[in-house]
Amino acid sequence: MIVRTASKFKADFFIEKDGYEINGKSIIGVMTLAAEQGAELVLVMDGEDEQEALDALVGLFEDGFGEVV
Amino acid sequence: MSLPENVINGAPPSREVRLRGCGVAPGISIGPAYVYARASITVEEQSIRPEDVASELERFEGALVRSERDLKKVVAVANERLGDESVAVFEAQILMLKDEAVLDEIRTMISSRMMKSDYAVRFVLTKHRQRLEASGNEYLQERSSDIRDVEERIITHLRRNKLLSAIDPHTIVVAENLTAADVILFSRRGILGCVMDYGGSTSHVSIMARALGLPTLVGAHSATQSVRTGDTLIVDGLSGALIINPTRETTERYGRLQSRYTQILEEQKEYVPLPAETIDGRRIALRANLEFKSELELLDEYGAEGIGLFRTEMLFLTEGRLGVSEEDQYKIYSRFVEASGDHGTTIRVLDLGGDKLLPVAHREHNPFLGWRGIRVLLDKQDILRTHLRAILRASVYGKLRILLPMVTTLEEVKRFRVVYNSVCDELRAEGIAFDEAIRIGAMIEIPSAALTADQIAAEVDFLSVGTNDLTQYVLAVDRGNDLVAELYQELHPAVLRLLRMTVDAAHAHGKTVSVCGEMAADSRNVPILVGLGVDELSASPVYLPQLTRIIRSIEYTDVSDLADRALNSSDAEAVRCLLDDWLKSHPYDLLHILDS
Repeated sequence: MIVRTASKFKADFFIEKDGYEINGKSIIGVMTLAAEQGAELVLVMDGEDEQEALDALVGLFEDGFGEVV
Repeated sequence: MSLPENVINGAPPSREVRLRGCGVAPGISIGPAYVYARASITVEEQSIRPEDVASELERFEGALVRSERDLKKVVAVANERLGDESVAVFEAQILMLKDEAVLDEIRTMISSRMMKSDYAVRFVLTKHRQRLEASGNEYLQERSSDIRDVEERIITHLRRNKLLSAIDPHTIVVAENLTAADVILFSRRGILGCVMDYGGSTSHVSIMARALGLPTLVGAHSATQSVRTGDTLIVDGLSGALIINPTRETTERYGRLQSRYTQILEEQKEYVPLPAETIDGRRIALRANLEFKSELELLDEYGAEGIGLFRTEMLFLTEGRLGVSEEDQYKIYSRFVEASGDHGTTIRVLDLGGDKLLPVAHREHNPFLGWRGIRVLLDKQDILRTHLRAILRASVYGKLRILLPMVTTLEEVKRFRVVYNSVCDELRAEGIAFDEAIRIGAMIEIPSAALTADQIAAEVDFLSVGTNDLTQYVLAVDRGNDLVAELYQELHPAVLRLLRMTVDAAHAHGKTVSVCGEMAADSRNVPILVGLGVDELSASPVYLPQLTRIIRSIEYTDVSDLADRALNSSDAEAVRCLLDDWLKSHPYDLLHILDS
C-alpha cells in the first residue's frame, strides 16, 4: 500500500531506519523494511510534490494500514 | 484412458518401489516421471566483457517481459478456477517484476560490475530475501519465498531452459514442492499428475490440484530422491499410493482400477440426488468444506447439503492483514450464504495463528500451543466485532451458522457470547436486519474441549470435531515432522474415545455433532464415524457422492457394534485390522477398490 501510494507522486521517497535506507517505491524494499517492525522510521521526500506525497503517506501510517499493530 | 506404450510392452526397468503420500485430488495416473528439481538451478559467478553489456541488458529485459507474461497467464487461470481472491499472491509477484528500484540494482550489477545477468539477479534478490528470512517471522518468510519464485522465474527465462510450462506433456511431475502457480502452468501443458515431497492437503496447492482435477499426492517424503526422470509411476490420488516402476501385474491392476475409477465416477452420479441414509434408516447430513467462491457451483454438482465448513482465513491471508473491511467481508459471506440455499452455511470465524499477522515481537516458540483461533479473536475484539457484523448482516440471505475454532474452555464460549450479544444490540440499534436465531457451535479440536464436551454442549447449539488438530494434540504429534509422522493416527483408540465422548455429550443435550477434518473425507473411516454416532460429515464436495454410496450400504446397528470394538482396541493398528476384517466381511465394491 505504501508503494502504491508513493508511486502516484513524482517526488523521490525514501524510508530510513537505523541508517538503513530503502526506496519507498520499491515493493521488495518495503517488504524487507517490514521485517523490522516496531522501529522508528524516517520518511524522506524529495521533489516538486513532496508535501502532498508526505501528507498522503503520513495519513496511511496514522491509519495503521488497517492492520493490527 | 490408454497406457503408455513402454508400460504395456517393455519389461519394467527395475524393481517396484512403493511410497506413501497423502492423496489430495482423487484419480489414478499412470505415466513416465519428470523430476522437476527447482533447487538444481545453480548460478555461478560469471563476468561478461564490456562489449557484451548491451546485449546482456537486453537479455535481462526480455526475461522480465516473458516472466510477466507467465504470471499474467497464471492470474487468468487462477481467476477462472478459484475466483479473484486467490490471485493476490501472483499479482504481488507481478509488482515485484516491476520494482524499478530493484531492477535498477540488477541493471547496475550488469553494466558496471560486468556481472552475467542470471548471477546479477540471484545476487541482488538473495540479498533482499535474506533480510526477510532473518526476520524469523513466518508471514515474512513466506513472502521471501515469493521473491524466490520471481527470482527463479527470471533465471529460468534467462536460460531459455525447459520452462516450468515447457515440461513434457503426459508426464507425472515429481518435485520437492510446487506452488499453486506451477500446478496451473503444468496442467495447461497437459501433465498427468503431481507428486510432492512436502505439503499438506489443506495447502493452496492442494486445493488448486483438486480444483483442476489433477491426481496429486503431497507429503510423499523422499519421492524426489527415489524417482528418476523416465521411471514409470502410478499415482493413486484415492489411497495416496505412489508406485515406482510397477511390475506388469501391478500396472495391469491399476489400469483396471483406472478405468474402474472412471466408471465409478459415472456410477456415483446416481448417488448425488439420494439422501445419505443407512439401510436401517439413520440419516447422516453430508456437507461441503469450501474456501473459494468458484467452488460454490460444486455444491449442486456433488449433492452437498449446504456448507459445513467455510474457512474465512483465505480472505484475510490474501489481503495480508487483519483489517479486511466489514463491507468486503459482508459481500463474500452473503454470496456463500445465498448460494448454500436451505441447508445453509457454517461460517468458521477467523482461525489464524497470531504469528501469521503480527510483528516479530510476537513471535511464538510454539505456535501450535499458542495464540490461535478464538484466543486471538477474544484478545482483538475490534477485529472480532467487524467480523461478526459482516457475518450477521449476511445472515439475511439464508441460513447461517457460526463456528468457533480452537475452543479450550467453556469460559471462551461465554466470553464470545458477550461480544456476540453486544454486536447484535449494536445492529438492532442501527436498525440493521439479521437472523435472530443463528446457531452457534464450537469446534472440538483440543482434548480439553472433548473432555468437557458435556459442559460446552450445554452452552452451544452444535459441536464440530476437527479431527486433524484433535489427533495432533491428543497424540502430541506434529504430522509435518517426518521423525514422528507415523504416530499421527486418526484411528487411534484415544482419538476415537474422545470422539465418542463428544458425541455422547452432544446427544445428551439434544445437540448434533459433525466431523469436518480430513478423516471425514476418507471413505474407509465412514463405518467407524457413523458407528460412533456422528450426525454430519463435512468434506471437499468431490468426496460426497462416494460417502453417500457407502452410508447407503451400511447398517447403523452393525457399524455401532464395529465402533464399540474399535474403542476397546489397543492401538491404531488393531483398529485398522478390525476395520479390514469388517470390510472383508462386507464386500462392497467401492471399499474393495479403495483397499487395493
